Amino acid sequence: MSFADTGMVLDILRFSLHDGPGIRTTVFLKGCPLSCKWCHNPESQSYKPQLSFDSSKCTNCMECVVACPTNSLSSVNEKLRVNFNLCNACGDCVDACPRDAFKIYGKLWTVNDVISIVLKDHAYYKKSGGGLTVSGGEPMAQFEFTLELLEAAKTHNVHTCIETCGHAPTDRFAQLLNYVDLFLFDYKETDPDEHKLMTGVSNRLILENLNFLYNEKANIILRCPIIPGVNDTKSHLSGIHALTEKYPNLTAIEVLPYHSMGKGKAERIGLNFELSDIATTAPEQASQWLSKLKEYGCEEVRLG
Amino acid sequence: MAKLTDSNSAGEPEIAVQPTTYNSSDGAYTTELKFTETYKRFTDAHPAIREAMCLKAEYPSYFTAIRDDDLFAGRIKHGRVGFSMDEWGPTAFGYYCQPDEIMKAIEDGLVPPERKDAIMEMAAFWKHEDTSSKLRASYPKEMAEYLPSDDWMGSSGIAFPLYRLTGANVNFKELMVLGIPGLLRKIRDSRAKAVQSGGDHRLFEAMEIAVDVLVDVCKYYQKTAEQKAADVRITDSKRSAELLKIATTLEMITVSKPKTLREAIQLFWLYSLVGDIRNYGRMDVYLGDFYANDLRSGMLSEEEALKLLQSLWQLMADRNTRVHGRVIIGGMGRPNIESADKFALLAMEASRTVKEIEPQLSLRIYQGMNPELMEKALEVIGEGRTFPIIYNDDVNIPAVAKGFEVSISEAEQYVPFGCGEYIIDHKSFGTPSGVINLLKALEVTLHNGKDPLTEKVAGLALGEFKDFKDFEELWAAYKRQVEFFVDFMARQEELEYKVAGESAAFLFASMLYDDCMERGKAIFSGGIHCLGGTLETYGNTSAADSLTAIKQLVYEKKTVTPEELLAALDSNFVGHERIRKELRECPKYGNDDEAADDMLLRVHNHVCNYVRDQKKKTGLHSYSVVIINNSANTLMGHQTAASADGRLSKTFMNNGNAPSSGNDAEGLTAMLNSIVKPDPSIHAGAVQNMKFSKDLFVNKRPELKALLETYFEKGGTQAMITVVSKGDLEKAMQNPGNYRHIFVRVGGFSARFVELDRDVQLDILSRTLY
Ligand code: SF4
Ligand code: SF4
Repeated sequence: MSFADTGMVLDILRFSLHDGPGIRTTVFLKGCPLSCKWCHNPESQSYKPQLSFDSSKCTNCMECVVACPTNSLSSVNEKLRVNFNLCNACGDCVDACPRDAFKIYGKLWTVNDVISIVLKDHAYYKKSGGGLTVSGGEPMAQFEFTLELLEAAKTHNVHTCIETCGHAPTDRFAQLLNYVDLFLFDYKETDPDEHKLMTGVSNRLILENLNFLYNEKANIILRCPIIPGVNDTKSHLSGIHALTEKYPNLTAIEVLPYHSMGKGKAERIGLNFELSDIATTAPEQASQWLSKLKEYGCEEVRLG
Repeated sequence: MAKLTDSNSAGEPEIAVQPTTYNSSDGAYTTELKFTETYKRFTDAHPAIREAMCLKAEYPSYFTAIRDDDLFAGRIKHGRVGFSMDEWGPTAFGYYCQPDEIMKAIEDGLVPPERKDAIMEMAAFWKHEDTSSKLRASYPKEMAEYLPSDDWMGSSGIAFPLYRLTGANVNFKELMVLGIPGLLRKIRDSRAKAVQSGGDHRLFEAMEIAVDVLVDVCKYYQKTAEQKAADVRITDSKRSAELLKIATTLEMITVSKPKTLREAIQLFWLYSLVGDIRNYGRMDVYLGDFYANDLRSGMLSEEEALKLLQSLWQLMADRNTRVHGRVIIGGMGRPNIESADKFALLAMEASRTVKEIEPQLSLRIYQGMNPELMEKALEVIGEGRTFPIIYNDDVNIPAVAKGFEVSISEAEQYVPFGCGEYIIDHKSFGTPSGVINLLKALEVTLHNGKDPLTEKVAGLALGEFKDFKDFEELWAAYKRQVEFFVDFMARQEELEYKVAGESAAFLFASMLYDDCMERGKAIFSGGIHCLGGTLETYGNTSAADSLTAIKQLVYEKKTVTPEELLAALDSNFVGHERIRKELRECPKYGNDDEAADDMLLRVHNHVCNYVRDQKKKTGLHSYSVVIINNSANTLMGHQTAASADGRLSKTFMNNGNAPSSGNDAEGLTAMLNSIVKPDPSIHAGAVQNMKFSKDLFVNKRPELKALLETYFEKGGTQAMITVVSKGDLEKAMQNPGNYRHIFVRVGGFSARFVELDRDVQLDILSRTLY
C-alpha cells in the first residue's frame, strides 16, 4: 500500500442532501491550510487525530485517569481535566469511559474501504442525480488520497463533487479536472487583506484557481459563507456581485448562513472559539442578505 | 318461540321470529340477558341456527343513535355479552362475556338491584360456555403447562395464545353486485340445492335469518331517521332533508341492490358492523364504479362525494377498532383501474382532511401506475398524517404467490389487514392468534430454561451457557427453544379454528367468503378456500443483535466470558458498565453492516421457515410469521430482562422489522439497505417504520421521491412514514394540550402522540429522525 492509499478521514456521511445535488455520500477529510475564525468544523482543521471530551456526560468516575498512558487526564475539584497538549489521541480513554464521554476525531482509511462504503448507495445516486462529495477540512490538502478517491469513483460511474476553499497549487486543480463533475468553491472575502486577517491566507491564489477552473469550463457552484459582523459588508456583497459579472456561466451562487455549532465542538477539543458571541443566523437575516445581493444585481443567488 | 332441533325437516324453517323490540344496551343488561336466554334455549340447536337467533337477540339493540353530522346510519356499542368473530378484550371472541367489567359494575352499584342476581348468574353461566374458555379447555396437557398465561401484556413468558378470529376480508364487491335481495336469492338457491343433495340446509336457513337481522337494522335506522327528520323539520330544514335522505337510502337498500355511491356505502357499512368485519378491503374496487357513475350522471359532485367519504371516515374512526380499520386502495388486479384510481384520490383527500387514527388507509403501488396517486400520497403524508401506508406490489405479489403457494393472479388480490398481516381477499384467513418473544426465548435459553425475571421454569433446559462449546451450540439451543414453542402455537391456531367451527358458523363471514356457499359449509367448518394462520414474532432485531454481540465478544474475541455476561445481564449492567459498552459497540442491524445483518437474516430465516413448515404438521393451508407491531414491542419489552445487545431490563425491544431504537446510526440509505435484506416471501407481512423530517418533504421532495423509488426497486415491501421533528415531540411531551395533532405510527397503528404512555413516547423519541 502506497502512502496515498490512506487518508485521514474525519467522517463519512451517508444520505447527505446538502453538499451538492441529489442524494450523496460526503467524505470529510481532516486538515485545512486555512484557519477561518468562524469555522463550523474546528475538529477538521488539524491534520492529526484529536481527542474530544464532552464534560456533560462525565461522572468523574476516574476510570479514564487510570487508563491514560500519557497522564493527560486528572481530576481537579471533582471535575475531570484534559491536558490536550499531552494527549496523543491513543484512544485508551475512549474504551475506558463507561459514559462515552470521549471520542477520537480522525481515522486512517484506505481508498478501497471508503469506496466500498460509497458504492453501497449507488442506486440512490443514480435515481437522484447524486454521488460522492469529498469535503473537509480541505480535501486538496490530502491531494493524492483525494485524487485516488475521485478516480475510483469515476471508474464506478459515480458523480463527483469536491468542496474546496481553493487554496492549493493550481496544477493540482488541473489534475483533478477529469475526475470532478462539480466544484463547490468557497468564496469568503473580497478584500485580500481582510481575507488574510480572517483566514490566515491571502485570497490571491484562491482567485487564480477560480479563474483557472472557470476557463477550463468546469462546473462551479460558488459558496459564500456570510458571518454577521465579519463579512456581511457592503464591499464584500458587491464583491460577490462583481465576481458573478465576471463569471456569468457559474452553475450557481449560494449563500451559506452562519451556524454557531462550531463553538461547542471547539471547546470539546480544547480550542478557543473566537466568535463565541455570534448567534446562529436567523432565517430572516439570511433572506435580507439575499435581497441585498439581488439589489446589487446578483439575480441567480440562492441559500445553500 | 319454537325450539329448533336438527331433526326439523327441510323447507321453510319453523322459526317463529318474534317482533324485534328496539331497546338498546341500557346499563341494566337487558340485551345481554336476552342474548344469554336465547343461547340457552338454542344450546342444542344447529350451531348456525343458534348463532342466527343470538344475532337476532343482540341486534339492533347494540346499535346506537345517528349523530348530528352523520350522513350514514351505523354506530355500535357492543354489550358485555355477545357474539363476535373478533375480540372484545383479551380473551373475548366468538360467544364472549366480559365478567370483570360486569363484576365491577355490580360493585360500583351500577346495576338495578332487582337484576343483580340474574346478572351474576349470567356471568357465571358464561364462565365455561364462552368460546375462549372452550378453546383453552381443549389444550393438551403439556401445551397448557408451557402456555400458562393468556396475559401477554402483563406477564413474563416466551409465547402466548391470542383469542380471536381477526382479519376477515369479505367479498364486499359481491355484496354490491347482489345487494340484499340478490344475496337472499343466492342463499335460497343454495338451500334448495342442499336440501336436494342432502347437504346442510340449516346453514342456509341461518344465513337467511342473518340477512333478516341486517334488514331489521336497516329498518330500525330508517324509522329513527324519519323520526329525527320530523323532529327537526322546523328548526333545521337542511338536516331534516339529510335525515330523510338517510331514511330513503336505507329503504332502498332493503329492496334492491345499491345503485348510487350513497347506497353502496350505507350497505357496506351496516354489513361490516353487524358482521363485526373490521377491515374494509379493496374499497376502490367495490366503490370506484359507483363514484364514477354518480359523477358522470351528475348525481354527485366531487365535493359532495368527499363529504360522504368524510362522514364514513368519521364513523370508522369513532368505531375505534384500535388496530384494524384498513381501507386498501390502488394496486394490481383491479378490473376498474380508471374509476378506482379516481376513488383512491378521493380517499386520500378524505384521510388528509379527517385527522383521525382510522381508517388505516393503505395504498398499493406498482410500476406504471398513475403517478398522481403517489404525488397525492406524499402530499398527505407530508402534512403529518401517517397515511397512506404504502405497499409495493412489484415485490409483494411475487412474494405472496410464493409464500401462500398461490398463482400470481390470486396473489394480486392480497390485502394487508390489522397491523399488517397479508391475506388473499375473501379467499383466505390468517388470524394472528399467537405471539412469540424471540428475545425472551434467547434469555430463557441462556438461563438454562429459567426466566430470570420470575426465577421459574419458562422453557426447555438445554444446558448451561458456559457449557456451550461454541456459538453454533448456543445457536442450536436457541433454535430448539423457539421451535418448541412454535409447535404449540401452530397447534393452538388449529384448535382455535376447530373450536370456532364447532361453536358457530360466523354467518356474515361465511356468506361472503369463497367457497362457503358453494361447499355448503361454514367458514371454519370446511367452507373457506384457504384456512391459514399467522404467528406474531417480537424482539426479532433485539434477539439478532444480542446474538451478534455474544458471537463476537464471547466466542470470537473472547473478551467476555459466559459467566461475566450472565452476571452483567442479571444485574442489569449495574457495576458492569464496561461490558455494556462493549456490547453496545458490536455491530447492529440497520447499518448496512454485513455481520449484523447476516445474523438478522439467520434469525429471520429460521423462525419464518420453521413456522412455515407447520403446515405439514397441522391441517392449516399456511402458517406464517408476521413481523408487525402495535405497542407489543414495548409491552413485552417490559417483561424482558437486560439483553446482550446492551438493552436495559424491562425496556422496549425493537419495533417490527426495524433496527432497534437509536441503533441505525449510519443514516437512512444504510437503514433501507438493511431492511430490504430479509426475504419477504417466507412470511406474511412485515412493517417498516420510517420517520422523516418535515424538511425532507418540504425542501427536498425530488430527493425524497428518489429515495423511496430506489428503496422500492431494491425490494422494499412497505413503508409507514411519519413526518415529524424531534423538537415537536419534545414540546408535545411538555405541553400535550397543544400537540394533539401530532400522529405517530407505533408500529402497526397510528396514535395521537400525546395519548401514548411516557415510555412509548420516549421510545419514539429515541428512534432516529432523518
Ligand atoms: S471515565 Fe468517563 S465518566 Fe469517568 S471520569 Fe473519565 S470521562 Fe468521566
Ligand atoms: S487519548 Fe490517550 S493520551 Fe489522550 S487522554 Fe485519552 S488515553 Fe490519554
